[in-house]
This record gives sequence, C-alpha cells and structure tokens, in this order.
Amino acid sequence: MAAKGEAWRAALLSALLLAVLLGAWEWAVKGGGGPGGPTVDAELAALLSPAAAAGGQTAMPAPSDIGARLVELLRDPFHQRGTNDQGIGIQIAWSLWRVMAGFLLAAAIAIPLGFVIGMSPLLNAALNPFIQVLRPVSPLAWMPLALYTIKDSNISSIFVIFICSIWPMLLNTAFGVASVRKEWLNVARTLEAGRWRTAMRVILPAAAPTILTGMRISIGIAWLVIVAAEMLVGGTGIGYWVWNQWNNLSIADIVIAILMIGLVGLLLDRALGLVARAVAWQE
Amino acid sequence: MPGMGGAARIVSIEGIARRFPGLTVFQDLWFHVDRGEFVCLVGHSGCGKTTILNILAGLDVPDEGGVLVDGREISGPSLDRAVIFQGHALMPWLSALENVAFAVSCRNPGWDKARVRDAARAALARVGLTQAAERKPAQLSGGMKQRVGIARALAVEPKLLLMDEPFSALDALTRGTLQEEVSRLVTEAGQTAFMITHDVDEAILLADRILLMTNGPEARVAEVVQNTLPRPRARANLHHMPGYHPLRDHIMDFLITRSRTLAGKPPEGWDSRRPPVVVPAEA
Amino acid sequence: MARMFRRDPVLDVCACGVGHPAAFACAPEAPPDGTGEMGRVVNEAALRAAFPNAATRRGLLSLFGAGTLLSALEGVLPLGNVREALAQGTPAAAPEKRDLKIGFIPITCATPIIMADPMGFYRRHGLNVEVIRTAGWAVIRDRAIAREYDAAHMLAPMPVAMSLGVGVANPIPFAVAAIENINGQAITLANKHRDKRNPRDWRGFRFAVPFDFSIHNYLLRAYVAEAGLDPDRDIQIRSVPPPEMVANLRADNIDGFLGPDPFNQRAVFDGVGFIHILTRELWDGHPCCAFAVPRSMITDTPNTYAALLRAIVEATAHSNDPANRVAVAQAIHGPNYLNQPLTVVQQVLTGTFADGLGGVQRVPQRIGFDPYPWHSMAVWILTQMRRWNQLQRDVDWAAVAEQTFLALDAGRAMRDLGLTVPESPMRNETILGRTFDPRQPEAYMASFAIRRN
Repeated sequence: MAAKGEAWRAALLSALLLAVLLGAWEWAVKGGGGPGGPTVDAELAALLSPAAAAGGQTAMPAPSDIGARLVELLRDPFHQRGTNDQGIGIQIAWSLWRVMAGFLLAAAIAIPLGFVIGMSPLLNAALNPFIQVLRPVSPLAWMPLALYTIKDSNISSIFVIFICSIWPMLLNTAFGVASVRKEWLNVARTLEAGRWRTAMRVILPAAAPTILTGMRISIGIAWLVIVAAEMLVGGTGIGYWVWNQWNNLSIADIVIAILMIGLVGLLLDRALGLVARAVAWQE
Repeated sequence: MPGMGGAARIVSIEGIARRFPGLTVFQDLWFHVDRGEFVCLVGHSGCGKTTILNILAGLDVPDEGGVLVDGREISGPSLDRAVIFQGHALMPWLSALENVAFAVSCRNPGWDKARVRDAARAALARVGLTQAAERKPAQLSGGMKQRVGIARALAVEPKLLLMDEPFSALDALTRGTLQEEVSRLVTEAGQTAFMITHDVDEAILLADRILLMTNGPEARVAEVVQNTLPRPRARANLHHMPGYHPLRDHIMDFLITRSRTLAGKPPEGWDSRRPPVVVPAEA
Repeated sequence: MARMFRRDPVLDVCACGVGHPAAFACAPEAPPDGTGEMGRVVNEAALRAAFPNAATRRGLLSLFGAGTLLSALEGVLPLGNVREALAQGTPAAAPEKRDLKIGFIPITCATPIIMADPMGFYRRHGLNVEVIRTAGWAVIRDRAIAREYDAAHMLAPMPVAMSLGVGVANPIPFAVAAIENINGQAITLANKHRDKRNPRDWRGFRFAVPFDFSIHNYLLRAYVAEAGLDPDRDIQIRSVPPPEMVANLRADNIDGFLGPDPFNQRAVFDGVGFIHILTRELWDGHPCCAFAVPRSMITDTPNTYAALLRAIVEATAHSNDPANRVAVAQAIHGPNYLNQPLTVVQQVLTGTFADGLGGVQRVPQRIGFDPYPWHSMAVWILTQMRRWNQLQRDVDWAAVAEQTFLALDAGRAMRDLGLTVPESPMRNETILGRTFDPRQPEAYMASFAIRRN
C-alpha cells in the first residue's frame, strides 16, 4: 500500500513539475505584455512578423502555441498532399520502417556472428581489434561512405542504422554466449546434446537476457541515428520533417517533433523491455 | 560380488595422471567400479577428486592413462554416465519438469512431447517432487533443486551414476534425507554409482567400497576400505550396527593422520594397481 | 585512335565561330528538320570531336571518306538521336523516359523547377515529374551523381566544378541546361551592424554562404576584396545551409550572410537582420541557380532531355512575368514546396519588400528568371574558381564554358517559345563596376590585387 501511495505522489510531483515548467515558459514568452516598441505604418507591418513590426524578434513559441499546432498536426497525421507535404504520422512510419529494416538486418547478422565469436576464443581475439576500432565510430561518419558506394540515400540510411546497431548486439551476444555457465554446458555434454541442440536449448536461453540488453541499446541508438540520418539525406521520415520545419524556422513544429521522437523511442524501448522480461530468468 | 572383476567390471581407471608444469596432482591412478557397486572416493580437497570425476564423466581428459567403460576406452561424455553436479546445475529458465524433460528427450530423441513429459513427470515423482514440477529452480529450496538434479540424472537410465559431493551445499537435515533417498533409489534400481565426498558417514551409509586418497600433490589411493555393513542401512541406526565404529575410526584416522603421513612418494615396492584392501568392520 | 571512344571530348572551336560540345549543333539558324546545314554541321562537329588534329582528320577523310568515318562514329556517339531530338519543334517526339525525379532546394531560385509542376508544363511535354525537396547542396549533388535524381536544381558553379573534378572524387560530366534565376540574392547583416554599411568596416566579420561552389561565395569575396579586405584573412566565410543562416544570425554566430531568398527576407520578417544590399547591385543579371543535367542524359535520352528543357524554359518565362509573380508566390510558398510564410515569398518575388531598416523598397527586378546560360557567366565563374585557388590548374576557359553551359540547347528551346535568343553566348558583363570581357579572362584576373593563385 505504501508503494502505491508513493507512486501516486511521484506522479503528482511529475505533473506539478511539468505544470510549473510549462507555466514559466508560457509566462516568459507571452508575459512581456503588449508591443512596446516603435509602431510602424500598416504597409510595412504587413510585410513583417508581428514581433518584428513591434521592433523585436520573433519569439520562442509558447506551450499554448505548440499545443494548438499539435492539435492541428494530429487532426490529419496521415495526409499526403504531394511529394514534399505528408503528415507527421507518415513521416514517423517511414522512420520506423528504416529503423526496423536496419535493426533487423543487424540482428540477423550480429546474433549468429556473436554466437560464433562467443563460442570461439580464437575468433573473439581475432575479430576484437576490428570491432573495437569500428564500434566507436559515429554512425553519421559512415554516411558519406555509404552514399558514395551504395548510391541510394534510402538504402544508405538503412545501412547507417545497420552499422550502428550491429555493435551492441554483436558484443552483448558474444559476451552472453561466452559467459554461459560451464556447468550448463557440461550438463548438455553429459546428455550428449548436439551442437545445435546445445546452442538453441542451452546457450541461447542462457544468453538471451544479455542479448536483449544489447538489442535494447541498439534500438535506442538506431532511433537516435535515424533522425540525424534523415536530416542529412532528407526525403521522408521524422528527421527530414524536423529539417523541413527548421527550414521554415518553425520552432513549435520542432518541439513537437522532439516530443514525438521521444515518445516513439520510449515505445520502442518498452516493446523490447517486454521481450526482455519474457526471456529473463533468475537463479 | 564386489571386487570380482571380469564381466562385472563396468569402469576401469587405468593409470591416469593430471600434471601441470612443475606439479603432479596425481599420477598412476588405478581403480575400478563393478556393476551394481557403489564406490566412494574420500580425500581432502586438493587431491584432485573432482578432476577424477570429470575424467570419468568424459568432461576432462587425463594427461596420461585412460578410462575403460565396458571394456572400451571413452572419448568424451556419454548418456551412459550421468552426473549429479555439486551445484545443482539446473537451467534456471526451465521449470523442474522441463529440466528433467530436456534430459529425457536427449536420451530418447524419437519420443514425442507427451511421452517425454510423462517420463519426466515419473522421474520427478520418484524423488517426491510431483507438486513442484512446474516451478522454476529459483522457486525451489536447495534440497528440492538437488532432487531435480537427481531425477534428471536417473531419468536417462545411465550405466554409471557419478556424483560430485552432491549434498555438500545442503543443510545437515536435508542432507540426511537426501542421502537416504539416494541410497534407496540406487538400491532399488541396482544402479552402479561413483561418488566423491569428504563426509565419512555419507560414505559409510552409501558405499560398498571406499577409496581413501592421500593429500596432494602426487595423491594416490592409499587404501581401499571394504564396507561390510549389511544393507539396508539407515542413518538413524547406522551407528548401532556392529562394525560401524571400527570402520568410522579407521577412516577418520586416515583423514586426520595418515592422509598426510602417507602423502608424497609411495613406499618401496608399492603396487599402484593393487592398493591394500582393509576390512575394518570385521577386525 | 583511342580518343575516338571518348564520350565527352573537349572540343576546339568549331567552324561556326563558337565552340560547342560534339553532341550539339552549332548553327543557330539551322533548319528544324535535322537535315541540311544543321545535319552537316553536326557531322562535321562529330568528326572534329573524334579527330581534333586537323591533319589527321584530313588524312582520314581522304582515305575513307566522310560517310565511312561517320558510320564508324555512329556506334560511339548516337548522332542520329541527338540530331532528331534537336530538330524537333513542337509537338515533341516521345520522350524515352517519362517518369523523372528532380531534386530542388527550397529557395526562391528553384521557382521555375517548382512551377513547372503545378502549372503542368512537365505534363504538357509528356513527362511525369516528381519534384523532391532536398536537404542541401552536397546532398543534391550526390543524389544527382547517384542518378537518384534525373536532373537537379544546382548552384550554377556546381556543374562546372563537378565536370572539372573540383570538390568531387572524379570529374563527373554535368551541364547547366538552363539558368534558373538571375539576381535575387542579398547580403543580410545582423541588426547590430546597422551603422556598418561600408564593407571596409567588416574586418573580423563572420559570413555565411550556401556552398563553396556558389556565385554567393564568389560575389561576397569579390565584393569585400573590392573594398580592400582579403576574404580569406580579414573575414571568415563558412558554408552554411540557407535555413540555418537566419538561426545563426539570430544566435550571433555570424555577422551576416550572402544567401538566397527567401532567407534574406525571412531574417527581416523575424526581426533578426536587415538587407544590406541586393546582389543585382553587385552584378546585374548574375546567374545564381541552374537546372543541371548529367551529360549522359543528353546522349542517352535526347528526347526526354529536349522535353524537359522546354518545360523548364516555359516555366522560367512564366515565372519571370511580373503579372504572374503574386500567383507564383501563392503556388510555391506552401508546405509542399518552400514551406515559408506567404508574405516572405511574395516580398521576394514582387520586389516590394521591407528592408529591415524601417523602409519599404520597391525593386521589381529584385529577382529575375532567364534561362539563357551565357558562356560569359561560366568564364567569370572559372576566373573566380581560379582566383581563389579552388581550381588549381589552367583550363581552356571557352571550351569548359561551352561544355558546361549549354547555350545552344537553351537557345533552341527559347526560340521555340518565341523568346529572343542572343546572337552570341559571350557578352561583356559589368561586375562591381568593372567590365569583364570573357574573351580576355587572364587580363581580368591579373587586374586583381587580392587573389590566391
């Protein structure tokens, strides 16, 4: 009961913090009162933003402006009015598609390869220098190389997702496999379980929580990277949308995009968290 | 029946050694286990007991010599030699039933799921764990876990049951119960068994023959003690049996004094293949 | 003989007086049926291209005869196709490839490329074009090289640089099929510099330009150099994507920029900066952006190229008409194209704009749209690439200009639309008060005190 009360109080405090933050923001933007600067003639005023006409600069949008814009965007999130004007829902779907393609491709290679590396100390030692050099490379550093060799921006961004999400999965799989308890392997050996059976019935479930941790790290990185990659290559996706609204200096849209990116990232992490819970075991 | 040799002989250890650079743990070690016999190996830690058991299981390879099972040299682990590990070595992601079923399905690859489960359930019933079949190891007590380990080992119907101090991690009360349980199960099935222990009463309760090892390095089987106490034996009345006290005193005496004084180079004319056999209970 | 198989030979000046690439006709008054004088000139040009050495050419001609030599060349240069495609007036022959992708950067310079879409000019010429907004100049270049885009909106110097192998790994033959806009850029300064209107006072300023290979970069450099400042030592110039120019100005990361519209106007609109000078006051009629195509498009799909060029020229003419400007602003400001407030785009296109200094200026010629790719423009660009050492070797100015600025093709398309076509693609330009004679580029370059070569 105490824990429940604690949770409620924490939620209340969160809401309060948010309210204070948004309130302060709103006040900071709008609280300055009416236009106090020089007034200009009507012809000039029509050519300027209201803030500029009042002698100032256009300000940061207030939470109420952002809220209004959010409602506007979410009213029709999947609209398609031409190549360059598509709803935020479609953009997120594009990003998710790219992330999933790159991530699943990386998983399909990293997990089996990690298995082999984890089981073979020789391969582990042989491949380790490569992994250690390539792993810390910023994913976006791959972008020009990918564009140059692949010559397709969509595949290039998928490649960048692939290359950045492969390392945590590879290393975690290798680590998880290498640290499977010797006694479980001995049990499998005394039971004459074959290689495949041992791999699938003993090593995989034993290493699964570690592998899932790697996958969670990977998907987090992939989601971080897709936004940057799409800002770079453009076309479609939430990252492109951010670039596009930046192009229009529409800060409200960018704040909304940040919110959306955060929410989708959270959902991706939670989804893998559920899988992780399903394969977790406890001694 | 014990010590008859010939067709009754299941396992022969022939001159095995374990060496490290500058250190010989044991060498020129010879002994055998006959069909239906229960042999205990008693010695202080550091004399290579666990190594010997692992070599018997096929999990380890001796630096010299070899192991014959049914007259054929072994080349690795086999379902014919089941091991009950010191730590229970249950797979924590599988329920008790699934742990046993894994062993059953390894022994009988052709069986369908239902048949495997039935056999596993029967094996658990023999160790009195019908109720706990669906629980994960983390939800079982130490004694229950080791019962699952016993059920798993017996479920593959091995020619030889190998036990590496299986009860050493349990509290005294549980240990006693399990010792009697193993005694019963082994007697009922006529199961051949080899066990490592440093618990003298455990050896007296279970063994037909007790191999006494000197301290390492260069450990050797200094004596073979025949246990002539009649079966069935029970913990409760073991110390009332005639001959119990001389037997216990002899072994205790060995462990306290002679394991140390006899250590090192064997005396002149020592025949490592035929260490002296003593029968203290008849003395 | 190996030279015979070169696809894009560097040409000597043709008999018609102006140099031109092999695949194109030289005679401006050629008959529209592809035969007669024009056909002869194409053949002769092809022979000249394949055998630049006059003695060799004459020797071979006397040995084999022109017919044999030309039929041997047909396999290398699809002369027939080019000849036919060029000879087509309206109605056009069917394009070989109808579904095209064209990349653009969301700035007012892209107006013709964009307007051809809603106005239906692409469709009228049998093309199904998707115009795709793109994130930056390097991206658009890479996608054009990768052939993700069939054609692209580029800065006029980019195809020149790419064809010369400057700023890219290997020379990639691209060409300016048409100029998009003339003028229409400005130097915008942060509001705090209202009293520093003389470039002599700009020592230590940090400026942004859209790209290294841009008229913006060259004009800014020339402008400050004219005022006695060394653009590499006395000021800083950075490549910054246009949208970020306003944000950087606002954040005080830069003191000003010479950038494309609508971002100059946007800086004024947001109260961040003021328009110091329009680039038309530096060089009236300067080229800015180009409609660029890979050279292979011209030989591989000549009818598509011809159709596309006509659509672009048509859209350029439409955009240039002052009567259409308000409607054009209306059409392109929305989220599918420029994604900017209407008033900002409208101020740029109509030339009635707030200058950020409290005044409203009326300069209808603020931006113009003229497709003709003057060779003199290309030569000036080359002099500046050389001046600032982007180009580290001497080239044949006129030959490169002909290769990269396809004045003949654009002229042909313009004539079909009833537009006036200049007699010669070379003219004297007045740039920053000096006369630039494209026939004397070395003398022009030598006249500069501040330069890097």
